[in-house]
Formats: sequence, structure tokens, C-alpha cells
Amino acid sequence: MSFTAFVDGPFWYFSATVFLIGVLWRLVGMLSMGSKPDFSTPRKSGTAAAIGINLTRFFPRADFWSRIRLQVVAGYLFHLGLFALLFFAAPHIEFYREYITGFGWTALPEWAFILVSEIAFLGLMLLILHRMLNPVTRAISDRGDYIGSLLIFLVMLTGCLALARSHEVLRVTHFFLAELLLIYFPFSALMHTFTFPFSRGFMGAHYGRRGVNV
Amino acid sequence: MAIDMNVFRGFAEQIKMLPQMARPTDCPDNERVNHLKAVFSTKIDASNATQLESCVHCGLCAEACQFYIQTEDPELTPIHKLDLLKRYYRREKAPLRWLHRLIEPDITEADLEATQHLVYESCTECGRCGLVCPMGIDIAAMVHVTREGLAHAGLIPAGLRAVEQEQGSRGTVFGVGPDQLRQAAEELRAKGHEVPIDKAKADVLVLTSTIDVLLFKDALEATVKVMNHLGLDWTIHSCAFEGANFGLLSGYSEVQKSASERITSQAIALGAKMVIVPECGHAYPALRWAGANAHGAPLPFEVMALSEFLGREVMAGRLQLNPIGTGKHVTYHDPCKIGRHGGVFDEPRAVLEALGVDMREMPSNRTANFCCGGGAGLFVMEKAEPMRNAAFDLKRQQVEATGADSVVTACGSCRINLMAGAGRTQWTTPIESLVELVGANLK
Repeated sequence: MSFTAFVDGPFWYFSATVFLIGVLWRLVGMLSMGSKPDFSTPRKSGTAAAIGINLTRFFPRADFWSRIRLQVVAGYLFHLGLFALLFFAAPHIEFYREYITGFGWTALPEWAFILVSEIAFLGLMLLILHRMLNPVTRAISDRGDYIGSLLIFLVMLTGCLALARSHEVLRVTHFFLAELLLIYFPFSALMHTFTFPFSRGFMGAHYGRRGVNV
Repeated sequence: MAIDMNVFRGFAEQIKMLPQMARPTDCPDNERVNHLKAVFSTKIDASNATQLESCVHCGLCAEACQFYIQTEDPELTPIHKLDLLKRYYRREKAPLRWLHRLIEPDITEADLEATQHLVYESCTECGRCGLVCPMGIDIAAMVHVTREGLAHAGLIPAGLRAVEQEQGSRGTVFGVGPDQLRQAAEELRAKGHEVPIDKAKADVLVLTSTIDVLLFKDALEATVKVMNHLGLDWTIHSCAFEGANFGLLSGYSEVQKSASERITSQAIALGAKMVIVPECGHAYPALRWAGANAHGAPLPFEVMALSEFLGREVMAGRLQLNPIGTGKHVTYHDPCKIGRHGGVFDEPRAVLEALGVDMREMPSNRTANFCCGGGAGLFVMEKAEPMRNAAFDLKRQQVEATGADSVVTACGSCRINLMAGAGRTQWTTPIESLVELVGANLK
């Protein structure tokens, strides 16, 4: 079996399986720990607050803006750019149609693809530089943070290089790295993609019961 | 409303002596880690798990922390304070614990000692860091879990341990028990106030605190005046008057529960419909939010912070106040445990509005308010002094930015820390009690 066939076939199924089972394993493992009952009389609904914080927490409080704007802007550039690339890049839509959904949807025009790629790259680079240069993030970051950042950077880089699809080796390299990222994902802090609604929800409910909008 | 500064200085001296009064812990050195793990094991739940798993090490929490803002020391980054809990979680509870055990070392006694300073003397559990976290990680709650673990491992700082031990063994705080309460009541009676102590039945059980009995006597007097002015069927009970809960502050849950249950059982015996917590920040969540869980069932009475009660009475029109005058410019310091952790924001402001003062909010106010620096027991921890000072300096900047003539608050610990800072820096802005302002201006 050629490397291309391996990447397009068995390794794809293997990485997708590790990703799905790993994510589910961790989520179910965390949530099955349950919570003790809270007998205090709530001031307001915790459930409403859990939902509310999941929306409001996308927008940082004005109180903190002057101290956190770089991280917030960089974070938004990266995450929005990555989201657009993941779900609206023509080659990805074609991939989803062929391997997962069976149907496709409207893709970004090529100029928009290039634009969002640059936006995502800019955001990612700023975040990596901030992690390396800021005394706080440098002190609290671990190997996993750098491995995740590096993998995402390489996946995005090879993805952009493979855009023209004129070189099969670039496409296969991009796909292979994306598969490595899928395997790494459930073992890493990239899991925040799925855990943040729960994390926010628990906090929102805790404070919401007390009538505090956090 | 003058405070006897000799008493204040004496109180400060007494706090300095606390470490010498602490008894040795009964936890053997070689059992510390096991005791900590036993506590962590019972405390980790889905909430902690999803929050510990969500951190991306963005460091934003540091930008909300008064101690980091003032010192720029990365060691004080709030999420870093959870490293011990996180390591326990990863190795013992996480779905991937089998993997983490291969790559992360086990917890050692040295790790516990290294964490003690971070969660006790460098964190007031104010919760401001939780406001900025994009993942919604409630760091303060998990700092408290870490305190609970360390407390059961015998690693409560000596000053705080001395008071916790006193409250746990004798039921008193700073030596204030039923006799001292009765003496304070006699002093108030001599001034012409009716002070019902130990009534068999009452609608309202009023708590006070050692700080009010010893130091802020005017706050206690004002509380008595308000209760009588409103014509309530109320009492203070000599067996259950102390609102402060050093079990909660230290993380020693057995003392927290016994202190809380003492009040709850007395309130039930009285047939009380309401328990009013004094101007003591942590006393409010200790009973209002944690009391029912210590009791194991919903409390059959309402729990109100004094500032909350005053505001409610004002808003309902039952409590009318003489306006002080619009020439008085004040700012209000929200005690973290009553505001951000308790949801009491509008009520004290309603009181100030009724007093007719010119209210000026600090740049960071209400939910985003900065802690005074003395919360969560820091005011009795000797080694926390640099942190308290740093927080005070920031709070002073916040107050001065308003141009207010005085700062009003509704927490005795906040007052102590602000007064200590004012004394250190020769800051002349008055630090006033909300209930004292009310007591002096009853219509």
C-alpha cells in the first residue's frame, strides 16, 4: 500500500475513530462524575444563567478590555479564521461531502479563502508569540500547549500550500498532519473545543443561582 | 461614629500574636498527602472536572487579579494556584488518568508546602479572575477546594489556624463568647437601647461578629437601633451570635459545619423566619449559600446580609432615612463575598440613595469590584501583609479616582484592611459602615 493510499484510507479511519472515541470518552468521563445537590434557596435560575453565560462570555467585559485586548483580538482572529477554513474552504466541503455528510454547501471564493487563511495565521502567530514572550503564559504553558500550536500551524501551513492541489504530495502531507492532529486532539487541551460550554455552564449556574451575572 | 483607635491597634497587635497561639496540627507529616487526597477525592465533581480540563493557559486570569496587577509576579497567576488540584485530578480522577500517571509525578509533601502560600496568603478567593476566563473556570471555588485539602493536611497558616482552632474547640473567636456579648449588650442598654438577648421565640435572629463586639461597636449599636426602629420581634442569642466562620475561611470543613449548624439549629429552635448576618463579608455565603448544604436540607428561614436587609426595607418604604445632604460624595466598596459571591449590589446603593448622598462608583465596581485585600482570612495571616498592602494601594487608587469624600462598605474585615492601609499610608479618607450611616440617620 502506498503512503497516499494509507493516509487516504486506513489512517483516516483510524484517526477519526481515535478522535471520536477519545472525545466521547473524556466528555462522558467528566460529566459522569456528577454534582452534589445544592440545598441553598436560589435567588434566580441557575439553568438560565448557564445558558446565558455561554453567550455572554464570547464578549469580554469592558472592565478588563485594556489589559486583555491583544489576547482577545488574536484569539478571535485565529478561531474565526480557523472556523471559516474548516467549514467553508472548498476542498474541505468536498472532503466532508465525500467522506462524512454526503452533501456539500456553498464554499468561500478563493480570494476569501486566502484572506481568512491570513487572518487565522496572524491570530495563531500572535497567540504563539504571546505564549512564548509574555511572562505569565510562558510560566504556565506546558509542552502540550506548544505541541498543539505547532500541529495546528503545520496543518494550516500545508493546507494553504496544498490549496492549488497541483501537488499531490502537499495534499497528502496536509491530510496526514490533520490526521495526526485528530489523534492528538482528545489527549490534549484542544478538548476545550467541547468542554467550554460545560465549564461555562457550571460557573454560570453557580453564580446565577446567587443572582450574579458573571 | 468614632472608632477607638487604641482598640484598633490592640486588635492589630492581637492578630500579630495569633501564630504563637496556634496549637500544633494533629496531622502527622507522613500522612499529609493522604489527607489532602482524601479531601480532593470527595470534592472533584463534573464542574471541577470540566473546568480543569478546559484551561488553555491563556493567562487572562492574571489580568483580573489584584495581586498580579500590583506585583506582576507570574507566580501569582490565579490558574497556577490550582496546579496541585489539577495534578491530583489528572492522576486520580481524569478519564485519561492512566496516561497522566505515566508522565506526571505524584504529589509530595513539598508540593503541599509550596502551594500553601499561593492559596492562603496570595488569594482572597475574591473570584474576579473567574469573570475574565473565556472558558468560565471558577478558579476561586477550586482555590477553596485546595484550601480544604491543605487544611486537612494540617497546613493552615498559623494565624488563621489559631482562630479556627479556637472557634472549633471553644466556639469563641478572639476570646469573644457569651460573656463578652452580654457585656456589650449592657453597654448598649446603658445608652438606652433595648437589646433582647436569648429570647425563647423570635421572628428574627440577628447575628453579630467579634469585630463588632470588640471594635466596631457603633455598627452593633446601629444594628440594634434599626431592629428596634422597625419594631421587629428579634433577638440575639448568646449561643449563636457569631457570624464569622473561620472553618470556612481556613477550609476546615468540620468547623465550618459546626459553626454554621450552631446558628441553624438555634434559628430553628427560635422559630425564626429570618436570620440577619452582620457586616461581615464571608459570614453571608457561609450561611446563605453553604449553610443549607451543611444542614443537609433547605434552611427553613431566610438569610439576609445586613446591607441586603437594610436595602430591602428602604426599597419597601418601611425604613425611612434622613438625607445626609447632596454635599456628601461617597463611593461604595462591594465586599466580594456579599457582592460578587452573594448577589447583593442594588440594596446598599438603595440605602445610599435614600441617604441622599452623591454616589460615585469606582472605575471597577459591582461585579468587577476589586477586593480590599483582606478577604478569605488574609487579615489574620501575618505573611499576607505584602499582599494586603498591594491590594490596598490598588483600592486606594480606585477610591481616589471617584473624588469621593469617603468610602462606605458593609464588611468589618474590609473596614479593618482599609483602615490598616490608611494608617500605613496616612490616607485620610474616612472608611464608613453602611449600617452606622443608617443608624445615625433614622427618620
